[in-house]
Amino acid sequence: MALEIIVCIKPVPDPQYYDKVSIDPVTKIITRAGIPTIINPVDKNSIEAALRLKKLYGGNITVITMAPPNAVENLREALAMGADKAVLLSDRAFGGADTLATSYTLSKGIEKLGHFDVIFCGAESADGATAQVASQLGEWLNVPHLWNVFNIENQDEKTLRVKTKIENGSMEWKVKLPCLLGTSRDLNKPRFISAMGIIKAKNKPLQVWERKDLDAEDERLGLAGSPTKAGAVFTPDIKRKSEVLSGPADEIADKIIEKLRAAGVNIPVVDNACAIKGVSQ
Amino acid sequence: MQFFQFTEDQEMLRKSVKEFAKAEVAPKAAEWDEQDCFPIELFPTMGEMGINGIFVDEEYGGAGMGHVERAICIEEISRYSGGLGIALMTHHLGMSAIYDFGSDEQKRKYLPELCAGTKICGLAVTEPGGGSDFSGQKTTAELIDGQWVLNGRKCFITNHNADASVITAVTGVDERGRNRLSAFIVEKGTPGFSTGRKEHKLGLRGSVTGDLILNNVKIPESNIIGKSGDGSKIGMACIGEVGRAGMSAICVGILRGCLEEAVKFANERMLYGKPIAKLQAIQLEIANIRTEYEAAKLLLYYAASKKDTKQPATPDFSIAKYYSTEAAVRASKSVMNLMGGYGVINEYPAGRFLRDSLASIPSGGTSHIQQIIIASNTLSSFKA
Amino acid sequence: MKKIWVFAEYANCTLDRVTLELLTKARELAKSFKGETQVSAVLLGSNIRNVCKTLCDYGAKKVYVAESDKLGLYNPILYSKIITKLAKEKKPDIFLFGATSIGSELGPTVAADLKTGMAAHCVDMKINENEQLVSDVPSFGGKIIGEIICPDFLPQMASVKPGIFMQKELEKLSDPEIVSIDLSGINFDDVPLKAIGIEKREAKCVPVDKAEIVFCGGYGIGNRENWEKLERLASLFGGAVACTRPVVDEGWGYEEQMIGTSGKSIRPKAYVGFGISGATHHICGMKDSGLIISVNKDKKSPMFEVSDVEIVEDLNDVLEELITKLS
Repeated sequence: MALEIIVCIKPVPDPQYYDKVSIDPVTKIITRAGIPTIINPVDKNSIEAALRLKKLYGGNITVITMAPPNAVENLREALAMGADKAVLLSDRAFGGADTLATSYTLSKGIEKLGHFDVIFCGAESADGATAQVASQLGEWLNVPHLWNVFNIENQDEKTLRVKTKIENGSMEWKVKLPCLLGTSRDLNKPRFISAMGIIKAKNKPLQVWERKDLDAEDERLGLAGSPTKAGAVFTPDIKRKSEVLSGPADEIADKIIEKLRAAGVNIPVVDNACAIKGVSQ
Repeated sequence: MQFFQFTEDQEMLRKSVKEFAKAEVAPKAAEWDEQDCFPIELFPTMGEMGINGIFVDEEYGGAGMGHVERAICIEEISRYSGGLGIALMTHHLGMSAIYDFGSDEQKRKYLPELCAGTKICGLAVTEPGGGSDFSGQKTTAELIDGQWVLNGRKCFITNHNADASVITAVTGVDERGRNRLSAFIVEKGTPGFSTGRKEHKLGLRGSVTGDLILNNVKIPESNIIGKSGDGSKIGMACIGEVGRAGMSAICVGILRGCLEEAVKFANERMLYGKPIAKLQAIQLEIANIRTEYEAAKLLLYYAASKKDTKQPATPDFSIAKYYSTEAAVRASKSVMNLMGGYGVINEYPAGRFLRDSLASIPSGGTSHIQQIIIASNTLSSFKA
Repeated sequence: MKKIWVFAEYANCTLDRVTLELLTKARELAKSFKGETQVSAVLLGSNIRNVCKTLCDYGAKKVYVAESDKLGLYNPILYSKIITKLAKEKKPDIFLFGATSIGSELGPTVAADLKTGMAAHCVDMKINENEQLVSDVPSFGGKIIGEIICPDFLPQMASVKPGIFMQKELEKLSDPEIVSIDLSGINFDDVPLKAIGIEKREAKCVPVDKAEIVFCGGYGIGNRENWEKLERLASLFGGAVACTRPVVDEGWGYEEQMIGTSGKSIRPKAYVGFGISGATHHICGMKDSGLIISVNKDKKSPMFEVSDVEIVEDLNDVLEELITKLS
């Protein structure tokens, strides 16, 4: 069974530099100057999952993203990892989209690609981290979808057995193709891009589709198609006045216990120890 | 003159190797240095990434790129571990002897596994009597009953535990009575072929360096690389270009490490209520390190791109090697100046950078040897 | 009348505490409206009647109930179809979900079906002068907080992680009004997605989001041996062990113990951190703790900026001493 696999990726500012993100005090715009744009880390798990599925059953992998034009670079990386072709949905009309408008636009791009068996999306992006696009894309395309997937096995040619993470455990599912899976970082370890992959990527097709290329409703795109609106942005003030404790370790330990007791923490064992000491005196 | 710029492919390669180095090399580099253990387990991953066979044709399992790309790989890895850098660079060195001078049969037999990183390669030239005195070698090879029989001892051999070692030996004398050398491929496990003592090195730890002992080692006649008497040419070419390029790339990596660690420290370390980066004395050190890095990098990549465009580059690699190794020593000393007491604490990498830089000087010929090569080339080519 | 709904997460037969936190917050939001406002819960599952009382005790005046054996295990397709149909009929103004594994999938699914907006992982919510829900949403690992409104569509939806809001019972308890959800038109059989099993891992000690005191280890903890010491210390206190992402990556701690934007949010009485560098995404998950004590050899650690007590020492010595004193 050859599979048509689609992987949705998102270029994000590298999370290693989020300490450097700030808000311009005058313009109130979020500045992330100098922070490199990378493929959202968990989206690499999606690409890896697609590559492994393709290795087992054959087929075709298409990566797709909705992003500004310079996302071509990130798509090239996805091709170098081993995807077969790439599509960039890029147009001013797509700008300002929330998760509903983003997932709608992606669904229109995917509809244009035609038949698919499996779609992979990262469970959440590092920057916005709404974790909403995967499920909403599944709804627009009207296919079953699962979120936070950490294990995939083949059942038969029309069914996958999938495990998802839940609090303190996991659930196991049977899902019929076509379906959409929101991948977690525990699903696999993404491969590094190889030199051979870089050379091959040069000859792989990469298309850019604009507004006019999609059969979409204007009122569902971009800012206009976004029910949520962004208001003020601010950086939370969480600084506390730090008191320094120093001295020999056993004195520090005593002081810690004292502080914890003052904070209302129950310290039964120490109380007993004191009681015993008291008796022996 | 064109603007000096890496191609998009080279930038992507750098990004990928950097990601690999940050994830797989950086967290363990100090431990490899401390325990002097060789991270052989990373070679298959580097194989999948095409790093091991970066300059080898796809036909033989390589990536089909060149020496600029090789320098990028070694630089990025050596940013975090010079030890792994020299292990990789030596692996390349042995492979280049087979790739550039070996028969098609030899290439098919050895290169795919070496590219994949399931086998390790080395090059053994140096003997107890010295390394740069090529023709003074004492290891011998005699053709007896259709087999080469090798006897002798090699020392200071990095990757001396390699699966396939390229070994030079004396196979006769020329008309002026000088030794004629030949190069052979000797596989690990051949009877009489063994590793001797392992050296306890100052720097570039995490790579294995030690003796190789050849005691009546019999190998097939076909294991000679090129023809009898080609040994000098092969050894010189490999060490002169691939070897020195590698050592230079290691030091450019160390220089980047110096630069990044110095900037991080200068911005974080507070003195009199502000980061020491605000102090001019610190800025002077930073400026020095930056300049050393940029100069070494330009020399290295200039020489490597010359080699990739098939121009003679031996003197250029000598210049790059001489400059970058000495620059790395100066820069790591600068980092130590800047860090004060922290510089001597092993939890900070400054001391390791200095030791690795110092240990880079002898490999591929000391600075004095490079100066002699540079001078001889200069005296013959800069006549007014 | 304004209607605030809370999805009662009882999937897989345990009521998630976030439901009670959301009901408590919903009561507070309800007070901000000028007119009458009603808080309701939406409950799906099997054997759920006994849960209704609890929901009521925390503020649900009305509980919409869909009870069936086929809803005992969570199913995104069935759950979303039932909830969407109900919401289309009853038209709530605000609809809140827990940002649990299930809520993170179900909430946006329902929002897409209702073609409305949803704010994800809110750290705070309020009602503005136009009687709109304003949700504070973190981005860039918690470094930036943005306000989100959904002015033109209803319901205004939002998800909240467990541990963000306090839970508090009503002082005056009453019996809930229970309304059965009309399940006609829902096809329970031909569903392309079926849960075939559920596995729960036994928690080794107190869960991080339920403990009064949390001992948290970062990458600086160094090795498994020290991590085990931290576990021992926590068990001596009857507290929980928590960790940062690198500790999960090293395989010392579990993902359930991870604190931060991609993990749990906690607000224990006291938090003691060992070897934590203080990346924003971690701080975002623990900044609401009562007392914050940090032990780190590196005095430049940004963690100290958000701490009440700062100890620049070898964490090993402090760990050993604390264990000695308590055993």
